[in-house]
Amino acid sequence: MRSLTVLFDPSCALCRAARWWLDGQRKYVPMEFIGAGTAVAAQRFPGLDPASTLKEMTVIGDGGQVYRGAKAWLMCLWALREYRQRAIRWSRPDRVQYARRFVAWVSRNRKVLQRASA
Amino acid sequence: MNVNYTVVTYLIYLAVSIGLTIWVARTLHRNGRIFLVDVFHGNEPLADAVNHLLVVGFYLVNLGYVTMALKLGYDVADSRGSIEALSHKVGIVLLVLGLMHLLNVFVFNRMRRNAILDNAPPPVEPDACLMPPALPRT
Repeated sequence: MRSLTVLFDPSCALCRAARWWLDGQRKYVPMEFIGAGTAVAAQRFPGLDPASTLKEMTVIGDGGQVYRGAKAWLMCLWALREYRQRAIRWSRPDRVQYARRFVAWVSRNRKVLQRASA
Repeated sequence: MNVNYTVVTYLIYLAVSIGLTIWVARTLHRNGRIFLVDVFHGNEPLADAVNHLLVVGFYLVNLGYVTMALKLGYDVADSRGSIEALSHKVGIVLLVLGLMHLLNVFVFNRMRRNAILDNAPPPVEPDACLMPPALPRT
């Protein structure tokens, strides 16, 4: 894996904050950020359903691998120098369900969380 | 018999401390090599070079400490005083050696962990795969 493309929801403040946070971290693998549902995203990845990329964060590998939701987050953390070990730990079969539940919970409540953090 | 207990204590202290330092350094040198060869993906000359540099640092720090901690500050009058002074001095040298040794093991382990992480494959399987025509130009 040489690069990752991250599709994030540009209308969501929490997603934008996450994008800037990811952008500022030291990386093993470079990341490119594209707004989900935008014309650029449609042109680059015509095979992806824009509605699904707006609902869940989506990461695309340089070989066309698509990761969604918790897997997308685990891939992003895996690409970061400081978080790779944690990403591997939380990807273990017996643990990945907790990562999935946590990401799903944050994703579901992101409007509330945004208001609380604002 | 006119024996200067202080000087004898110093000499025994130096012999024991230097002996211990050499023993620990050799242990480190022998066993650390295996870690380093793994870290450097079988590049043995590089592993040997780093190993040697680490051991030289280990010797310098420990022998430096042993030398600086030599002075007792009082005269030893008899063999009992000599043994007491020695046990105190050598005990501290052992603790310093132990700390330095554990620090070295920690450094080796850290290097090995980082080397493993550098080459770790993606931790999760993709949900789907886009057909090559959908890929962006690289």
